[in-house]
Amino acid sequence: MNAPERNIVTLKPASEPRGVGARLPFVDGVEKVTGTARYTADLPADGALFGKILRSPYAHAELLEVDTREALALPGVRAVITGDECDMPYGVIPIAQNEFPLARDRVRYIGDPIVAVAAVDEATADAALALVRLRVRELPAYFNAAAARKLDAVLLHDNKPGNIERAVHNEFGDTAAGFAAADLVREDNYECAEVHHAMMEPNAALAAWDAERGHLTLWSVTQVPYYVHLTLARCLKMEAAHIRVIKPFIGGGFGHRTESLNFEVICGLLARAARGTVRLLQSREETFLAHRGRPESHIRMKLGMTRDGRLTACEAEVVQRGGAYGGYGLVTILYSGALLNGLYDIPAVKYDGYRVYSNTPACGAMRGHGTVNIRFAFESLLDSMGAELGLDAIEVRRRNLLVAPTDTINGLKVLSYGLPDCLDWVEAASGWQARKGKLGRIGHIGRGLGMACSHFVSGSAKPVHWSGEPHAVIILKLDFDASVTILTGASDIGQGSSTIITQVVAEVLGIDYSRIRLVANDSAITPKDNGSYSSRVTFMVGNAAADAAANLRRLLVKAAAKRLDVREHEVDWLGEAAAVLGDPERQISFADAVEEALVATGTLTVKGTFTCPPEFQGGKQRGGAVGSTMGFSYAAQAVEVSVDLELGKVTVEKVWAAVDCGFAINPMSVEGQVQGAVWMGMGQALSEETVYENGHHMAANMLDYRVPTIVESPDIEVHIVESIDPNGPFGAKEASEGPLSGFMSALAAAVEDATGQRFRTLPITPVRVFEALNKKPRAAKSPVASAQGAA
Amino acid sequence: MAALSDFRLLRPASAADAVRLRGEHPASRFLAGGTDLLPNMRRGLVTAEAIIDLGGVAELAELRVVDAALHVGAGVTLATLAADPVVQARLPALAQAAASVAGPTHRTAATLGGNLCLDTRCMYYNQSEPWRHAIQNCMKIAGDTCRVATKSDRCWAAFSGDVAPALLALDAEVQVLGPQGSRRLSLADFYRDDGMAWLSLAADELLVSVRIPLTDGWVSAYEKLQVRGAIDFPLTGVAVALRREGDLIGDLRVACTGVSSRPELIGGLESLAGKPFDDAALALVEKQIKRGTQPMETTVINVSYRRRVTPVLAKRLLRRLWQAAA
Repeated sequence: MNAPERNIVTLKPASEPRGVGARLPFVDGVEKVTGTARYTADLPADGALFGKILRSPYAHAELLEVDTREALALPGVRAVITGDECDMPYGVIPIAQNEFPLARDRVRYIGDPIVAVAAVDEATADAALALVRLRVRELPAYFNAAAARKLDAVLLHDNKPGNIERAVHNEFGDTAAGFAAADLVREDNYECAEVHHAMMEPNAALAAWDAERGHLTLWSVTQVPYYVHLTLARCLKMEAAHIRVIKPFIGGGFGHRTESLNFEVICGLLARAARGTVRLLQSREETFLAHRGRPESHIRMKLGMTRDGRLTACEAEVVQRGGAYGGYGLVTILYSGALLNGLYDIPAVKYDGYRVYSNTPACGAMRGHGTVNIRFAFESLLDSMGAELGLDAIEVRRRNLLVAPTDTINGLKVLSYGLPDCLDWVEAASGWQARKGKLGRIGHIGRGLGMACSHFVSGSAKPVHWSGEPHAVIILKLDFDASVTILTGASDIGQGSSTIITQVVAEVLGIDYSRIRLVANDSAITPKDNGSYSSRVTFMVGNAAADAAANLRRLLVKAAAKRLDVREHEVDWLGEAAAVLGDPERQISFADAVEEALVATGTLTVKGTFTCPPEFQGGKQRGGAVGSTMGFSYAAQAVEVSVDLELGKVTVEKVWAAVDCGFAINPMSVEGQVQGAVWMGMGQALSEETVYENGHHMAANMLDYRVPTIVESPDIEVHIVESIDPNGPFGAKEASEGPLSGFMSALAAAVEDATGQRFRTLPITPVRVFEALNKKPRAAKSPVASAQGAA
Repeated sequence: MAALSDFRLLRPASAADAVRLRGEHPASRFLAGGTDLLPNMRRGLVTAEAIIDLGGVAELAELRVVDAALHVGAGVTLATLAADPVVQARLPALAQAAASVAGPTHRTAATLGGNLCLDTRCMYYNQSEPWRHAIQNCMKIAGDTCRVATKSDRCWAAFSGDVAPALLALDAEVQVLGPQGSRRLSLADFYRDDGMAWLSLAADELLVSVRIPLTDGWVSAYEKLQVRGAIDFPLTGVAVALRREGDLIGDLRVACTGVSSRPELIGGLESLAGKPFDDAALALVEKQIKRGTQPMETTVINVSYRRRVTPVLAKRLLRRLWQAAA
């Protein structure tokens, strides 16, 4: 009765894309830009205690005694906990759980948490930790894979002989026959330094213990609230039903947060021990020590090629320094091998991978998980061999393209394949034919052009925790106010997943954005979601959102038919209104349709789901699920550099990146994702590197860990190729990980074009370039030339 | 980084008051832009019971030309300095150096005095308390060994200010105020080659201003080596000031930063006055730079690279200035 008069506007179908395909600004952009978005560290929590962690100063040691009595006696201290507080090891891979939130018996890297304290303020927490007495027996420590693999090395984990966490050996096709059939066989070694995600927001958690009920609520910066939920239940030995996990706004993740991290569990343990609320903020240094980045990798790559540039076989060996604990490690080493396939047509692939434990922070998932370093090696060798055969870099790739639909030799399915179009665009946009090899030198500045291709999965088709549930669930709530609330567990970590889900719902329902709200990541309210990793959200949750919206639309069409007094197939659903087909003047508003839909039932909640069918879940081989997906994104990019030949400094002048993302649900967002991927690849290629000296992290800050600044940021021109994947939501696939992996080798090729030197070690720092350009003449022989000599 | 510890904040209105307060509070520190001091306090590298905020001291903000010299108060921000028309036109090395410090937001807060008094830096020192504890600290703070050169009896932390070498090349002098009054000294004398005591400045003395001669006929430039185009401290930095007399070198001053515990004015170049600008001259510059600098393992970036590239930068600047002065 108090409702305002409804404004009736006769609607006609829209001509511009408003739902999918629209360049919609992020739905949570206003909060971020105006500063009202609350991140974990900003959450109001009256009387929250200050949590702090004492970390191991030893790289490898037996813990003989952890004496916390004095710390506990300090006034203002509410809880002091040690490894005694939790005897359940955790880890994201159910078969590789060997990490304790607080070390028990043994510390395995400098930074391993030993004691945590909750106190009334930071000064008291610091004072308490200073009172802790440790007695240890130091053990030999290993800071690289070779040292950890020595015969007499002490084992970091008793069940892993040789400190090898996982060895992978597989062969698909007949590589011996492939190499025998090749006209040219080449082999080279590639080294990639360890890199870290360096996301903008440092780690933080807030835990509230409800002492009366024995319930826990935890807010954290996680990409995977569901996994955190499971880990808390496991480590705190609690009923999952007694735990609530909430993810607030997040400043990036890039894989750092795709598994539960020690600080999250410690925060929960501290809150319970203190019987109150604890805020645990992690410094940038502690965030670096939680690590989970891309491992230091040694790669031996061997390819066989016919005279006309066709690949006949590939053989690769990868050794990764995995760090002190399992984490995602075995997935990383499996991905490296699996994703040798799916980009080009290779008849035979042999892969040997070794994930090695070391006394450094554990590595894990990082944007382009597992594929980035081996792609650098593969593309680099492909360039060199093509050049040896007189084939241009683009031409040699064209000769090895797949034809979709196809199955790869290791059981992966490729249903859409826009790589040829990506290559065409990059070739034209970069002026490749006219400019490659012809940019020349002016004074001490050399210029060069290089290119490479890459790909990535659109979600792992088999989740880490296989429970038989759908891969994704979305709930839509429709109520008296004619608003639609999307309930999702998908974690928007800055990549824009909330926006994509909203666009999908808006597209299917046809309604105005102002009616749609999205509520995400509160386990008490939103449906479970596996989380934001392996680029699964747009593909899987997007499909679930389309399914949910279609289900809701069916109910609304039915209601509209009733209100309009026609049959359902006679309803012209216009979104903000419903009309009678062929009689557009006869229409009702969306609100009227909602009113009718709620008659005798009330508030509607509608669900949508998505499941990857078993045939997409990978080959039968052990570990065959890793790399399996319903759709691969494809990318090609060209990089132009200038090199200061006196100082060894490489400057990226321009990047042309084409991505086949199936269909761009939000082209503006895709462009941003591609630019971010290229930029992140540039950091790894040019300057980023974690450095350990006797296990001490020498670059655990943003001054010494050199992420590129805006000054180094080149113009990145993005071109979107839409191959319309048969299974993606509206044809969409992944857009943000694939375009990263090609950058390093494209840059290395550009530097070779500019200097004549091919770099096989990342990052390509001024020091490395300077040393290569200033070598004594006998050592200055180009590696490519020496390979020819061996032919 | 940890939170700041508790301290008293004192806000003097004059340089004399500031010096008096510094004398009254032995455990105090002067605060200008805070871009160096505050991170160091948050890392526990500096402890202070009182902070004397110089923001209200008007005389530190002066920037004017008097008697063919530019007088710059120690409190003038680097952003102001870099944008000043006189500095840009007459003292380009200073403008370039000021503009090359850290990033734009730092330069808006950071001051000339702060950059000249910048704490020396080292990868074993500029770390958190737990990090330093794990290596049993170093000589510069709470330890007895220099981690860069473990057998050495001195600290090798590197002076990493960008502005000092420019001012050394431009022959600046500084004015210092203490309880006994004010004194002037050349900027070269303001520094000492000791990572722990790199300034000739008593605890109760305040750097008040810098005087830079505006002499006709000089050209100057500054360039730093850094991995990134912003944020980074200089791995090495070179300032050159040159006066050309026709086809001969009139005068030449070269100074470096990031290569030892003080900014180094390169000696032994006087003989180049009146000489032609040729390969021999450049070779002498290179030789003297190598003789006058000694970068150590104070950062994760390779020492030999820093040592070899410093003369490259210097020669590049010299060639550019020689052309510009024609």
